[in-house]
Amino acid sequence: MAQAGVGDRWRPPRGRHRLPAEVVARSQRERLLEAAVRVVAAKGYGAMTVGDLTKGAGVSRTTFYELFEDKEACFLAAYDAAVETLVRRVVRAYESEQGWPERAAAGLRELLQALAEEPALARLSLVDIGNAGPAAQRRYRAAIQRLTPLFEEGRDFAPGGRGLPANTSRMAIGGVTGLIAEEIVAGRAEQLPGLLSDALFATLVPYIGPDAATREVDRLTR
Amino acid sequence: MSRPASPQAPPPDLGGLIEQEHLPAGRQDLAEPLIAHSQRERILVAMADTCATKGYNATTIADICEPAGVSRATFYELFKDKEDCFHAAMEVSLADAMGRIVSAYSPDKPWATMVRDAAAEFLDLLASRPAFARMALVEAPASGERAFELYASGKRVLQSLLDRGREDPVEEEAIPSSAGRAALSGAEALIVGQILAGNAERLRELLPDVVYITTVPYLGQEEALRQSREAEKLLSPPGG
Repeated sequence: MAQAGVGDRWRPPRGRHRLPAEVVARSQRERLLEAAVRVVAAKGYGAMTVGDLTKGAGVSRTTFYELFEDKEACFLAAYDAAVETLVRRVVRAYESEQGWPERAAAGLRELLQALAEEPALARLSLVDIGNAGPAAQRRYRAAIQRLTPLFEEGRDFAPGGRGLPANTSRMAIGGVTGLIAEEIVAGRAEQLPGLLSDALFATLVPYIGPDAATREVDRLTR
Repeated sequence: MSRPASPQAPPPDLGGLIEQEHLPAGRQDLAEPLIAHSQRERILVAMADTCATKGYNATTIADICEPAGVSRATFYELFKDKEDCFHAAMEVSLADAMGRIVSAYSPDKPWATMVRDAAAEFLDLLASRPAFARMALVEAPASGERAFELYASGKRVLQSLLDRGREDPVEEEAIPSSAGRAALSGAEALIVGQILAGNAERLRELLPDVVYITTVPYLGQEEALRQSREAEKLLSPPGG
């Protein structure tokens, strides 16, 4: 499993240098965010210590506390950055297509690909977040909410969409994220792109029923 | 694209399935499985309650001993550590919950009625025991491997109830084998949202939604909506 080490990243040269302070701080902050993703993936949020973060990022404790209040703040910042990138990728792919099933397939394909590229991030975004206290759980729910409008378009697309239960989109999202989380927990994050037809079926079926969903899945994942 | 086309084996007897999942035998003799008859049970109740208010991670042994009225020494005589105690609390409650849900199952009922009754039983159970609801659906999946395994085994029991839908001659070889898992996760997301919002006591209101999402892959949209409307009728008491 390829894992980008801290050493692979650019760091300000050691010793005397003249980089502006905020550039140094930004790179320290980014290294800490990356370390948070790696450490949580390796040992879980509960067991993560500030020491793990400073060691992983190659910064001092003093620097850590200048940048973050505590380990939760660092974890949440890492989470926000990860989700922001992920959601932007998914929305861009989704919007590149026209019909709703096509858009859903493109968005899901991108989501699964992005998660497979970075298994540590996948774990953080969909599994560990639930383990990091109420603030993290609220963040997770807020992130998921951002995908709601994408699913709600299914209602406009479906012939009987207006008559569907009010919570249809929340349940459809829960179904898809549930399938993905199960794969990640089972250590199969890298194989997530293979989940496309199942995830697409779970997305479509609440809106258009099993027959149409099966046809669309066959057409769009061939 | 792989689609499991082979017909499913007849569903296992559900009591047997509970055993197969290594859950302890149910405690049908007690209306409430966690009635504080003993120090051990008082500790388990305190564990569930404290988890519900502070979350598993923040819960300390002292938080558990105080309301249970036991000493630390007693705690450590009965449990190895906090995780061990959580596991025991989850095990007892889960076995009882699964027993109640499975009792809603009867081979005489049509599948959709069985799903509706089991879902109603499950929602009522969670609504009447908010501490258990939080422990089983919010804390357990995130509180270590052993607790996660119990949570997963409970989910597999519910899964087996749903999978019976695959026997009905509705496109059964066409839908993916993961359809039931996805439906269950969809219902779970809704339920957990309600619990986190502090509305556990109103969980029964979700019944029409839960019925819709769990039946639509198997019965099709029209029939699932009909079942969902039927479930809605159960929400208002007769004459009320």
